[in-house]
Amino acid sequence: MSGARLFEIFRQDALHSLRRPMFWVLMALLAFMAWGISTGHAAIGSGDARVGGHKAWITSEFALAQLVIMMTTIIYVFFISVAAGMSIIRDEEHRVGEILHSTPLTPGEYVWGKYLSVLAVFVAVLGMHLGLAMLFNHVLPHGENADFIGPFVLANYLRPALVFGLPTLVLFTGICFAIGGLTRKPVLVFVAPVAVLLVGAFFLWDWSPVWLPLWVNRILQFADLTGLRWIKETWLLVDKGVDYYNHATVGLDGLIVAQRLACVALGLGAVALLHVRFAATLRGAHALPKGHAAQARAATATPAARLESLPALAALGMRSGVPGFVAGALEVARAEIHGILRHPGLYLFVPLILLQTLANEYNVGAFDTRLLNTSGILAVGAMNTLTLLVCMMILFYTTESLQRERSTGIGAIYFATPLRTGAMLAGKALANTVLGVSIVASCLAGCLVILAVQGKVPLDLAPFALVWGLLLVPTFLVWTAYVSFLQSLTSNRYGTYTIGLATMTLSGWFQMRGKMNWVANWDLWSTTRWSDIAPLEYDRMPLLLNRVFWLGAAVLFTVLTVRLFERRERDATRIVHRLRPAALLSSALSIAPLLLVPAVAGTLLALQVHEGYEGGVARKLARDYWKKNVETWKNARAPSLAAVDFDLELDPAKRAFRVRGWYDVLNDTDRPLARFPVSVNPEWKKLAWTLNGDSLATENRAALHIVTLPRPLAPGTKARLGFSYEGRQPDGASKNGGAQMEFILPSSIVLTALERPTMAPILGYDPGVGVEEDKNQSDPREWPEAWHQGLSRPAIAMAGNWFDAHLKVSVPADLMVNATGELVREEVRDGRRVTEWRTDHPVRIFNVVAGHWKVKRGDGVAVFYDPRHPYNADEMLEALAAARTWYGEWFAPYPWKTLRLSEFAGLPTYAQAPPGNITFSENIGFLTQSKPDANAAFWITAHESAHQWWPNLAMVADGPGAVVLSEGMAHFSSILLIEQAKGLEQRMGFCRSVENRYGRARRRDSERALVKMDGTLPGDSRAIYDKGGWALWMLHRFLGRDAGLAGLREYLAAFRDSRDNAALEDYLAIMRRHAADTTAFDAFARQWFHEVVVPEYKLDDATVEKHGEGWMVRARVRNTGTGVMPVEVAAVRGVRFPHGKKDAEPWRDGRATITLGAGESREIAIPCAFEPERLVVDPDVTVLMLERQKAELKLGRGAAMLAAKP
Amino acid sequence: MLSVRGLVKVYPGPVAAVQGVDLDVPVGMFGLLGPNGAGKTTLMRIVAGLLEPTSGSVTLDGEDILARPERVRERLGYLPQDFGFYPHLTGEQMLLHLLRLKGVTAPGGLKALAGELLERVNLSFAARRAVRSYSGGMRQRLGIAQAIAGNPRLLIVDEPTAGLDPEERLRFYHLLAELAEQRIVLLSTHIVDDVAVLCPRFAVIRGGRLVARTTPRAARAALEGRIHEGLVAPADLPALRAAHHVTQVLLVEGRHRVRLYTLDGGAPAAFGAVPPSLEDAYLVLMRLGALPGVEALEPAAASEANGEPAVSAEVRA
Repeated sequence: MSGARLFEIFRQDALHSLRRPMFWVLMALLAFMAWGISTGHAAIGSGDARVGGHKAWITSEFALAQLVIMMTTIIYVFFISVAAGMSIIRDEEHRVGEILHSTPLTPGEYVWGKYLSVLAVFVAVLGMHLGLAMLFNHVLPHGENADFIGPFVLANYLRPALVFGLPTLVLFTGICFAIGGLTRKPVLVFVAPVAVLLVGAFFLWDWSPVWLPLWVNRILQFADLTGLRWIKETWLLVDKGVDYYNHATVGLDGLIVAQRLACVALGLGAVALLHVRFAATLRGAHALPKGHAAQARAATATPAARLESLPALAALGMRSGVPGFVAGALEVARAEIHGILRHPGLYLFVPLILLQTLANEYNVGAFDTRLLNTSGILAVGAMNTLTLLVCMMILFYTTESLQRERSTGIGAIYFATPLRTGAMLAGKALANTVLGVSIVASCLAGCLVILAVQGKVPLDLAPFALVWGLLLVPTFLVWTAYVSFLQSLTSNRYGTYTIGLATMTLSGWFQMRGKMNWVANWDLWSTTRWSDIAPLEYDRMPLLLNRVFWLGAAVLFTVLTVRLFERRERDATRIVHRLRPAALLSSALSIAPLLLVPAVAGTLLALQVHEGYEGGVARKLARDYWKKNVETWKNARAPSLAAVDFDLELDPAKRAFRVRGWYDVLNDTDRPLARFPVSVNPEWKKLAWTLNGDSLATENRAALHIVTLPRPLAPGTKARLGFSYEGRQPDGASKNGGAQMEFILPSSIVLTALERPTMAPILGYDPGVGVEEDKNQSDPREWPEAWHQGLSRPAIAMAGNWFDAHLKVSVPADLMVNATGELVREEVRDGRRVTEWRTDHPVRIFNVVAGHWKVKRGDGVAVFYDPRHPYNADEMLEALAAARTWYGEWFAPYPWKTLRLSEFAGLPTYAQAPPGNITFSENIGFLTQSKPDANAAFWITAHESAHQWWPNLAMVADGPGAVVLSEGMAHFSSILLIEQAKGLEQRMGFCRSVENRYGRARRRDSERALVKMDGTLPGDSRAIYDKGGWALWMLHRFLGRDAGLAGLREYLAAFRDSRDNAALEDYLAIMRRHAADTTAFDAFARQWFHEVVVPEYKLDDATVEKHGEGWMVRARVRNTGTGVMPVEVAAVRGVRFPHGKKDAEPWRDGRATITLGAGESREIAIPCAFEPERLVVDPDVTVLMLERQKAELKLGRGAAMLAAKP
Repeated sequence: MLSVRGLVKVYPGPVAAVQGVDLDVPVGMFGLLGPNGAGKTTLMRIVAGLLEPTSGSVTLDGEDILARPERVRERLGYLPQDFGFYPHLTGEQMLLHLLRLKGVTAPGGLKALAGELLERVNLSFAARRAVRSYSGGMRQRLGIAQAIAGNPRLLIVDEPTAGLDPEERLRFYHLLAELAEQRIVLLSTHIVDDVAVLCPRFAVIRGGRLVARTTPRAARAALEGRIHEGLVAPADLPALRAAHHVTQVLLVEGRHRVRLYTLDGGAPAAFGAVPPSLEDAYLVLMRLGALPGVEALEPAAASEANGEPAVSAEVRA
């Protein structure tokens, strides 16, 4: 091999690459992103983020490692596929091969020279990218983002580049280069990046359920050649805190080193393979198979001409004509399809999407439990994947299709035929739809297989037709038209790829930044939520306008494509003439009619967004509310509700409602009340007030109405505040899809008078309105230690007092209604159903829900479910009944006559538990996939039922830690109920699930003690629910069952009818009174409620030896976490929960209890009468810990680790 | 009638490929002769509607085909100089595809017609083979087949005999001759023999300009008595070149057989007058820019005066 010749090939190709626009567009994109990240317009987070205290530096090695991985995998790889994959193909199309390979240039010099050239270019790109990052991060000013920039450490940039970036570049340049050189088919060069993105983004990078064995996880980490899964699972999954990530280097283990080396080997190996094949086939030398020689001779034989015997040409009767548009298009399509069917691309991408569909069938809901798949869920769930894959396919195939005549050389003949240009383009587009249809069909097949295997849920093609037909297909049409337009404009495939990829990248960027809206969202990425109950009802108009707008744009692109398509090579001088203003204006006017439809639709849509509840108008109204009132009314006293009378008339077709009603407001403070604020929705119309029956004029301060009483309301006295208004919910369109918590739709209604004035006025000022994170959000309040002493305000402003409610609800007759209270009257007349409800026991909250339901009833319980979702109704009814029985026995008798649970459309996903009228979205509980060891439907219902007690009966205070008494108590209650009703296995499963969620979401740096948690920091919510539930349950076990229940009853009695509202400190004080050992109680309460501790156990040095008649197991137990808890260690054998398996070995265990402080370790010895298989810390799942799966050890020969620490 | 007026094509560079060509081509065969880079293919592509000119007009039977190129495609048969086919189709499939795109009809159906056409270009044996396996000559013949398909009013063939063996070339000549009886056939070539055999009329183009418009007979007649041939020793050749217009030099048994052109009959003694060939006329035109008695289309300028090397063909037998 000659170095000089190799270098010449290298030099020539490198110069060519550097001259290409694609290179500069990539650099521009990377520069834009580097700037965006350095100025805080984008973030790749590790550790805590943006709230108070230490910030996670974007210049740390951890942050830069993730950046390099993401950028090379998602951005670079597509440009690599074009540059590397097309390198040899380009030479072939330019027909330089004959001349090049007639020189002394060897195949090896050619192949390696070209490969090294493209590799060097992208290494240079990576270098420049990081250089730009250094410039933006450490040289240019950052303004507000300065806290996220750490000190400059060159190694932080170089190590990730060398460890993660370089091997990825070698891998993908090598593979794409080899694919292009081996197959000579342009489209196939995109297989690698598409496969990486699909498999990575939709599976490998995030799929890590609790039950996944560690060894499988490690295999998947190795298989993900980007390195992202490894870094997430090894370093990021369990938060190590901001300080750690800011200063530590990314520790490498054997797996990642081997993997990076494998990437390099694969990349170089692919090139070596190409070298061998290229050398073998360059000069056409290959051995003929046996028997083919005769065929080959026959093929080359040219029989002599028989010119004399042929009749004159005129005798053939040929006539020329012009093929019709349709006939021409079909002929073009036929030829294109012929090529597509013979192209291996189709047979690679279709299985890829099929596999991807099957892999994505695992959807999770509450408590990480699996959801049932329905046709609609699968259809919407596959939208993003299909959009990404099919749009990429359209980009590649459409470009190559339009380029094909030039590439093959037939252009001069082809374009000289009378076939109309429009017919030609239509035929090509039609042929390319075969590909799109194949992919969509294979996805549909995958979905149908999923549904068939799952069983339970009937097959229904209608959602697929609706979602894919009406939403996806226009996306494909738009993108096809756009790509065709680009190719016509540029007449250059590389230009088309570059602009197309840049368009997709920027679209993703704006989506990620939250800057996308309905108008610009051409691909409807993540906008659509499916509900079996209300399919596409919520955003119907924006969806329709969006599709009309973009289809109109597609027509425009199509017309421009036909006009610009360079069938006849354009003259440069005439181009200049055509760009003159007069000529441009004339051209613009000729296409102006095509702009009408998109202009109208786009304008209407933009107005809807602007005037919608997330638009500029609403934001301004909210800001005005905040600006005018925060200083004056934030802490103003407001009265409580003493009684409610509420007449609600609903018009779901218009999403409208009308209200007439009144509140009896009670001054439950110790001072007279002269005036008080009431929050309303600024979009309500015809709002009118009365006071004690007389018309009342209020001061309207940007939707905070100040009620001034003619005479101050004395303490303990009431007044009647009347109101009437009309409104809509939602009022207008969302910004980019999504749904509000409450809505009125033709198929489903859910409204609550809780915290926001959606249905009813809310007494007091709402501090959450008008606060925008990056504009006026303050740091969380720091509460004094004794904040809870004295009277505390309720956490839910309107729920501080008991009140009686009388509700009258009117809906279309086909809907059923559930409201707070008992149904006292129901009448159907003139197409309307009027229901009247009265509370049989005072309540603190009232709500209304409506739907088309079937009902299952039990003793004092009922489940109202959509007829399409009967799967878990029995289980949920059982849970309601169990909750009513056991919570009633343990805590306090259930005060209301009926406990109802109603289903609403799963547009937002949540559940709420107003008294007697629990509401679940359809994807909570109703579509949960329950298993014997994880009965999620029961779990979830148990949790929400517990809210009937906590906090409906004992309202919690507005202060830190108090919400643990709501959500934590609900989890704790669920633990008790699950064990009571379902047994130990399910309880253990529930506890493990909750613990695992806490561990994954835990923010080590920002986690506060339970008594300090107020839900304002990331990770708070999970800690409140999960750690709170665990801590309360461990406390209950610490106290003992009887003492614990006695404490709970005392707590309820203390706060049920009290003007004071409960804080966590109050709860602990009451529980302390029931502790046998108050010193031990104080220590327990201190570490679990007042400090931040959580143990983490490891086992090693395990030995098993015969000991008399039995065995002795010895091991060292270490607490690598924090906290001090007595914990059992068990030597076990057999299957604990055999589920009827006859051949399962019976369970046996021997136990020892050990108490270890933070960092302590101790040897334990456990005698057993049997030969144990494993050691398990906390076999009954009674102590909250981190990484429980690593606190097990397999015993036996060699005592190998069951779960090894990396 | 195909009429070209003031046709100009300037490529970015700038490169003036066609510099004001005027041409009338009636029904029948018309040759366009010129060296490589003269502008023949550019002119062909403009007429075929594949290239937009910088200025000028082209009409076919009175219709402006630059403004409406689709009108020429309806009546066009075109064999480009450089072309390819879809490699994944067989010869028959490719031809059928093009027949359909051209809107061709035939009493016996397109499949039968395709078979007939392939027979005429001696490709029947390879009809079912993928085009990617065709030799260069076979591709050329397939190109001819699609060009002659239908009933085109205008047939443009650009360097059609490249890649054809003598037998195939002869066959092609007969085909073209048959076609030229009732349609306009524009043959672009740098092979003088093609014009000599086929074209009753021809034009010569050089440097983007027409330098002559004549017939082969007139071109030869213009040189009658002015072409002389003789044997010359290699050492004497330079002096001969300096004194006379040498048009061809052939090496025969170590001596140069030289043909030279004399305006006033003053040939060296050893030289005798020989019948002029069309090649002689072409070479005189390239070198001197004009033929005596033939209308000059640009000011005659000696090649040497323009700094262009003398055109001569030296062949070693």
